[in-house]
Parts: sequence; C-alpha cells; structure tokens
Amino acid sequence: MSLTKNESVDGTTLTIQIKGKFDFNLVQSFRQAYAQISKSTVKVVIDLRETEYMDSSALGMLLNMKKTIESQVSTIEISNCQPQLRKILQISRFDKKFDIS
Amino acid sequence: MMHVLIVDDQALNRILLSKMLELEGYKISMAYNGLEALKVLEKEPIDIVLLDVLMPVMDGFETAQKIKKYFSEVYLPIIFITSLDDQASFERCLEVGGDDFIRKPFEKVILYAKIKAHSRTRELSKKANEQKKLLEYHHNQTEREHEIIEHIFNNSLENQGKFKEHLDFNLSPASMFNGDMFLVAQSPIGNLYCMLGDFTGHGLAAAIGALPASRVFYTMVQKGMAVNDIASEINILLYNLLPGHMFCAATIVELSASGKSISAWLGGLPDAYLIDREGNVKQTLESQHMALGILDEHEFEYEVIHFETNQEMRLALATDGIIETSNKDDVFFGEERFLQILKSKTMISCENIVDNLNQFADGSEQQDDVSIVLLNCLPLAPEEKAREAFSTLAFNLSLSLNAKQIKQTDPVYDVVNILSSVGGLNAHRSNIFLLLSEAYNNALDHGVLGLDSNIKQQDDGFFKYYEMREKALASLADAMIIIDMRYCPDTLSLYFIICDSGRGFNSKPDESSSSNNEFGRGVSLLEEIAEKVTYNASGNQVEMCYKLS
Repeated sequence: MSLTKNESVDGTTLTIQIKGKFDFNLVQSFRQAYAQISKSTVKVVIDLRETEYMDSSALGMLLNMKKTIESQVSTIEISNCQPQLRKILQISRFDKKFDIS
Repeated sequence: MMHVLIVDDQALNRILLSKMLELEGYKISMAYNGLEALKVLEKEPIDIVLLDVLMPVMDGFETAQKIKKYFSEVYLPIIFITSLDDQASFERCLEVGGDDFIRKPFEKVILYAKIKAHSRTRELSKKANEQKKLLEYHHNQTEREHEIIEHIFNNSLENQGKFKEHLDFNLSPASMFNGDMFLVAQSPIGNLYCMLGDFTGHGLAAAIGALPASRVFYTMVQKGMAVNDIASEINILLYNLLPGHMFCAATIVELSASGKSISAWLGGLPDAYLIDREGNVKQTLESQHMALGILDEHEFEYEVIHFETNQEMRLALATDGIIETSNKDDVFFGEERFLQILKSKTMISCENIVDNLNQFADGSEQQDDVSIVLLNCLPLAPEEKAREAFSTLAFNLSLSLNAKQIKQTDPVYDVVNILSSVGGLNAHRSNIFLLLSEAYNNALDHGVLGLDSNIKQQDDGFFKYYEMREKALASLADAMIIIDMRYCPDTLSLYFIICDSGRGFNSKPDESSSSNNEFGRGVSLLEEIAEKVTYNASGNQVEMCYKLS
C-alpha cells in the first residue's frame, strides 16, 4: 500500500497513484497529496491502475478531495479502474461526480 | 620436419637423393613408380614430391596430374627430376602441374635451395588452409547463431501482428538485426501500450538489449503499470546491463481502452506528432528526458505527458533513421519533409511514408534503422481471459481476534490473501475485500470502539473521526471480533459471519446516508455486492452471502 504523486511535464495534470489497498490508512497521505495544488494544475487524475482493493473509506476520501479542490481544477478523473473497483464506483454513483475512465 | 617423397625407378637416384636430403634433416619416403607414389601419398603426410619423368607402370607426367588433382587442398609442390633438356619436355612438365625441375646429375646447393623455397610455400599454403578452415567454421557458427537469435527475436516480439486496426508500423533495419525495437501489449483492463526504442548503433550489438527490455515491458504491461514506471524499470535494467556508451532512446505510450486519452513518457526520440486523419499536426510531442540506460535510479525522470484524443486522431512515432535518411547530395530528409508527407494523403500509411523516403534516398545506402509507427486512437476491448476453475474443496475458516491482535494485525488484508489463493477466488478478491473490510470496520469502529459516524459530518470531521479512532484503538483493553468464513463449491457461495463484543450498532443509517455524505455508503455497498446481508437483533453480528457465479 502506498501513494505516489506526479506532475505532468507541462504542470497541468497532477496524477495521484494508489498502489495496493485504498482505505483509511491513506487518510493523511491522500489529503497531503492534493493539499498544495499548484495554480497551473487544471486536471487531477486518481490513477487506480495498481489499486487492488478499496472500501467505503476510500470513497469518503475521494469525496473529501472533490469538495476541497473542485473550485481549483476543471477535471477530476478516476482512471484505470479494474472492473470490480469500477463497479464499486458505479454502485456509489461516483460516475456522476467524477470522470471515470 | 618436412617430409619428402622421392619417386624414381632407379635405385641409384633414390639413394643419392635420400642421402643428400637426410643430411639436411628431411624425412624421406620412396616409391619406384607413379602408382606406388600415389599409394604413399594416401598414407603419409608428404610435403614435397621429387618426381622422375620416365618410369614404368605410371610415368611422371600422369602421376603429376593425378597428384595435383587428388591433393589440391594445400599446395603440394612437385619437382621433376629430369635429364631431359628439350623445351617441349619442360613445357609438358609445367602443363601437367610440375612446379620446378632438378637436373641430373644433382647439385647439392641447387637441390637444397629449391627444396627450401618450396617448403616455405608449402608452409604458407598449409597455414592459409588452416585459416580458411577456421574461417569457414566461424562463418558457419555465426550463421547458425544468427538463425537462433533471429528466432528468439521474432518470438520476443510476440504481439506485433495483433491490433491491426490500431497500429500501422514499418520497421526497416539497416542490417540483419534491428537496433530499433517496437513492442506492443495490452493490459488486463484493455489499455494498449506501445514502445518504440532506438538503441545506439545498429546490428546485433544494438539489438541485443531488446531482449531483456521486451521482457520487462511485457511483464509490466501485464500488471497494468504506468508508462513512467515501465520506463524507470527498463532504465535500471539497461543502465546495469549495457556498456557505458550504449543507451536506448525511447517513447512509451499508453492508449486508454476508451481510446480517449494517452499518456506518454518521451526519452530521446525525435518529436512525435498527434495528427488528424488528414495529417494535420494537432500537437507536437517533444522528447522530455534523456534516453533509457543513462541515468541511475535516483536521477531518473518520471514526468509524463497526458493528452486527450478521439477516434479521428493518430499518433505518429519515428526513430531518427527517417529524418536522418540522406540522398546522394548528402541532404537530410528532415522533419519538414516528414510533416509534408504526413499531410500528403488522407489516412496515410507507413508504406506510403517509406515509399516516399525511398524515392528521396534514390538508391543511397541505408545508414541506420528506420522505424515508423502510426497509432490510431480507437477504443479497444480488454482481452478475454480464461477464468480459473473454482476449487471443489469446501472449507471453513475461523478467526478470533483479541484486543492485542485487533491493534496489531490487518486481518482483512491477510484473510483476503488467503482466500485469493483458493482456485477461482482470486478474480473476486476486490469484492471479498470490500465485504470483509466494511463488516470488520463496522464491527471495530462502531461495535468495539463505539465511534459515532455523525462526527464525519462536521467540518473536517472525516479526519477527526480517524484521529479519534486511532486514540480509541490505542487504549482498547478488552475486546473480541470473530470472523467466520465458509466456502461452498456446490452453490459457488462464500458466507461470512462477523461478530463483535460491542454493544451493537444501528445497521440502518437514517436519511443522512445519501451519497453526498462521507459515511453510510459502506452499508449500502455491502448490500449491492453481497447476495444477502443480515444483522442480528442486537446489531453486533452480521452475516453475508456472496455469490461467485
């Protein structure tokens, strides 16, 4: 379980990648990852390609993030979900709140 | 020691010659006529033949012809012993393959001089022949090795032929082995990855790095890793593997399964272009980083480029072979011409581009590997995978956790790992995790620790909640959570019972459980993922049934 963040070369996209387990153990580091978002950032990508597990605490963390940064960026995308995680997001109606790809 | 064969029907000549030569340290064999001589030559490694002309059974002329015919591999000098001195006889001797003459009566000095001279020639010829054989051996060996390597290379580029709708590419190596490398693979969720690489130089030395690099690429795509992580891994590999002056300029691209977005790591290749169907450049993607294999682990640069695409878009990648192709006047093909050609036709193909390039080069020798890739940004479906068969063995698994274990272990994660190893369950591990995590955390947070989810509604309540949880957990002294699991292969079901020592909690959150709140989602998720969820009356036990089919 770990979290890494990366800015794209042009500084417009912030990618937060979560490996393994996305749950309340990441509460602090996840909040820190988007705490000081730079002015040039227009898009935040939560990359779940290496996320195997998530539970409702992760959903809470995602909503918290959205509340905090939605006025600063134009897109928040949740990308590369494995099918079962995508289903969890859909059941929770997250496809209405986030761009899920 | 040189071995001389003396062929003469007259004993006197034979004895005279052999005595003279033995004095000089030569090894001697003797024959009375040509036929005898051929027999000796079959058996003994003769270096020089002294051959009389007029002999019974087989004369010198016929013998010389046969010797030259049968022993042609290494120069075997024939020196005629003759008393004939007419021009015609000399000519005949030369005609049948004679190399020199000694006149009777024999003069020591001349005999020695001639034998020595021919010995030297014979030695040289022997050496040349040995080298020729060695060369042939190495040549055959190399050919065989090339065949094997070619076979391995072809096998290592397993996926190139797939994805015909998405990919059009042309690889023209400058020699047998390509120092350019083009790899293609699809991740489990359907994303399409391409890697175009250009190793320093060309030929086998350049191509060899493609083998380990391709293994890393395929393995990491299979895990669905990000392009920069793949780049980083190949970078370390090549950094450790290649000699200092060798590296691999590369672009690694990931097209999402929706076909709508691309992320790319660009290290050292010429500009890539995002073009429309007409070949108009929509975006130029410049290389951002140094080539792979130069920087060590800590210096490596992870930044990628993200951009959105659609079905009308194509990504054009090329190695420097194309822009550095030159014509007879040493003029480079260059980026401008490349861009012009992309625009010269709707949906231009790589074949069109190469035709243009060849016209430009007009017969000039190809200096470097030329590789072009056109990626059509179309959606693609994940590859269908055969499902692992379900285990037919029914089992129960039970855990009782006391306060100490609750504090120190991560039972949900561990149990999911155990269950994942059972045949057929691995594909369901995310759902199993969700069910167990929700039920266990409910039991722990609300049952054992007695936390109230309403805290989450306050400003910053979410974080406050987890702070409180941490504190409560730290001071937990006496508690018990029991997890019971049952796997029924007959009905393909998993049953879970999670029971805690707490006072129970309200399993039916009130109206506040709408999806905008930071809590309450867990319970409804459980009900969606599980076939059935039931709570006991006091709220300290939940029973779930999950269908695997």
